Amino acid sequence: MVLEIVVMIKQVPDSQEVVIDPVTFTLNRSAARNVINPADENAIEAALRIKDKVGAHITVITMGPPFAESALIDCMSRGVDDAVLVSDRAFAGADTYPTGLTLAACIKKLGKYDIIFAGEESTDSSTGHVGPGVAEFLGTDQASYTSESWYDNGFVYAKRELEDGTEVVKMKPPTLITVLTNANDPRRATLRMKIDATKKGIKTMTLADLGMPPEWVGLKGSPTVVKSMKAIDEKKREGKKFKLEEIPKLVDELIEKKIISI
Amino acid sequence: MSEFDVIVVGAGPAGASAAIKLATSGSSVLLVERGDPPGSKNVSGGVLWGDSMGSVIPDWEKTAPMERYVEAKGVSFLTKDSKISIDFRSRKLQERRSGYTVLRTKLDQWLAKKAKDSGAMVAAGITVDKLAFKADQVIGVEQDGDVITSDVVILAEGANPRVAINSGIREKLVDRDVAIGVKEIIKLPEKTITERFNLTSPKMGFASEYVLGFLDGGVKAGGFIYTNKESISLGLVISMKEMRENNNTRSFDLIEQFKEHPYIAPLIEGGRVDEYSAHMVQEGGIKSVPQLYGNGYMIVGDGAGFSFSNGMVLQGMNYAIASGIAAAESAMKAKIKSNFSKGSLSSYEERLKSSFVLQDLMNFKGIEDVTWSDMIHRGIPNISEELFLSLFSENGQPKKHLYNNLIRSIGSSEVPRKDMIINMYRMLRRM
Repeated sequence: MVLEIVVMIKQVPDSQEVVIDPVTFTLNRSAARNVINPADENAIEAALRIKDKVGAHITVITMGPPFAESALIDCMSRGVDDAVLVSDRAFAGADTYPTGLTLAACIKKLGKYDIIFAGEESTDSSTGHVGPGVAEFLGTDQASYTSESWYDNGFVYAKRELEDGTEVVKMKPPTLITVLTNANDPRRATLRMKIDATKKGIKTMTLADLGMPPEWVGLKGSPTVVKSMKAIDEKKREGKKFKLEEIPKLVDELIEKKIISI
Repeated sequence: MSEFDVIVVGAGPAGASAAIKLATSGSSVLLVERGDPPGSKNVSGGVLWGDSMGSVIPDWEKTAPMERYVEAKGVSFLTKDSKISIDFRSRKLQERRSGYTVLRTKLDQWLAKKAKDSGAMVAAGITVDKLAFKADQVIGVEQDGDVITSDVVILAEGANPRVAINSGIREKLVDRDVAIGVKEIIKLPEKTITERFNLTSPKMGFASEYVLGFLDGGVKAGGFIYTNKESISLGLVISMKEMRENNNTRSFDLIEQFKEHPYIAPLIEGGRVDEYSAHMVQEGGIKSVPQLYGNGYMIVGDGAGFSFSNGMVLQGMNYAIASGIAAAESAMKAKIKSNFSKGSLSSYEERLKSSFVLQDLMNFKGIEDVTWSDMIHRGIPNISEELFLSLFSENGQPKKHLYNNLIRSIGSSEVPRKDMIINMYRMLRRM
């Protein structure tokens, strides 16, 4: 029996390119390109390493808009076998609760699953809810904060990085593992696999495919209510430019303003 | 049987145009690009001059993500205290085509999407290692140990032709071939740009080249300012030779000096630097053009040295597009004949020779000697500053004739008169 692995990924705006809208103080995501959430890259690599060692069939899933296709193709170009995009207008505005529920429904639809991988948390919301949430909805064991995982003789092992040390847990599949950012060095896509992945394409699932009631998903299914948001005003600091030859003057001023003392 | 008719390496304007042309005519095409998304690794000034794109995307002017149409074109000499300019503005530039300012991250993504929509397979985020050979015939590309096969490979890898060099089909770059371009994109409101550059509408733009005759240590560099919709592209180009002769002058210091010039600073005042980048620029003219084709391959765009600069204009993307299309046409012709040999692909060079691409480079052979000369970078700026100062200032002394002023100004220049005359002649002949 081949080991069935599912990896959950999310696309996030590249954190280096995100800018804050000076008027609304919200993140201007449109200015940044979308990348695979960094920890999710490590989750994919963790799954691929198990496949390398003992053989496995890996399916990557994501919930998101149609443009998430390129991220899924990218995962397949690294050695993931299949990809499913869970996409429906009804999913819009979901907080972490219906997101977990929807992904769990998708995993159930896929059939057999032995190990589910997820990134520890996303760079755009940093809740870390979704992975453990899915484990709860599916009723599986889970190991969070892992830096390494392996499969041996019917058991899944995961090394957890905790505040007071590391812990290795031994679990019976099915199980869910969340992977820390930088836990490993993700491999790159190859041209051969990219061509095959592009030819193979991804599968899409909609709300109807999952057979979930519409009130369970999206904004309607989200218990979180944002009442208001407040931006903290940045205090403008006084600045002054000095030329190289004016450094003695700068030192004098700093002493005078009691910023430094001699 | 090859997996693809054509593999195109590089999704800039040259590679994307070739891919679009080929895919629309029914060829199976793989377009491989290092950057993901396409355009994220690419830098240009950039103004897209002319209508080369019209032959692959007829409605490009309406659909492509262009910034502003160039209605005002400048050429300026800067000295420490002065700016001497030609500032040409004409409504007639709308009848006789000029160019559009573009931002490559937007343009190249759009082009890659066009290629995909035309039926090409686009593989972004992949770096090709080298060409794959069988005997002396190119049979595809090699990446991470795998060979992907095609009848023809079109190399459109840009100013740093790594694949061509690794595959042994061209020489390594030497200082003569390349310059370094550094560029900042400075954010300013659309309205501010339109007003500051005296433009007739928010759709209209300004593009100017600058001779930076005032840089510390007498470093020679050419600057540029192009207006985008809501930003200004400001940068400079400095030759490798100049960099080395001045103890590896730091290019970012030079761009600061340019930005702080008394007549440049007000143009960008209040702007925020949104992006900075640096890239190689092909500067060698015809001398740097490598062997353009061989058994199963063709080289297009910057990778082939196709860029043009005479000090008055700086062009590259139009040459890239035209060469990409020419290579696509030759690949299609080769497919009909089922002959992908060097002889069969030689039609590519014939096409370029009958178009502006190679004709411009041949006709302006040696122009780089003039554009990097002391006359351009020190002689003309200093002489004209002296001349206009004597013409436009009034000190109560008897006025002299223009001719006498000119002779006196030339005499005051530090550039030897003999060099001035030789280069003046060269300039008139070559420019």
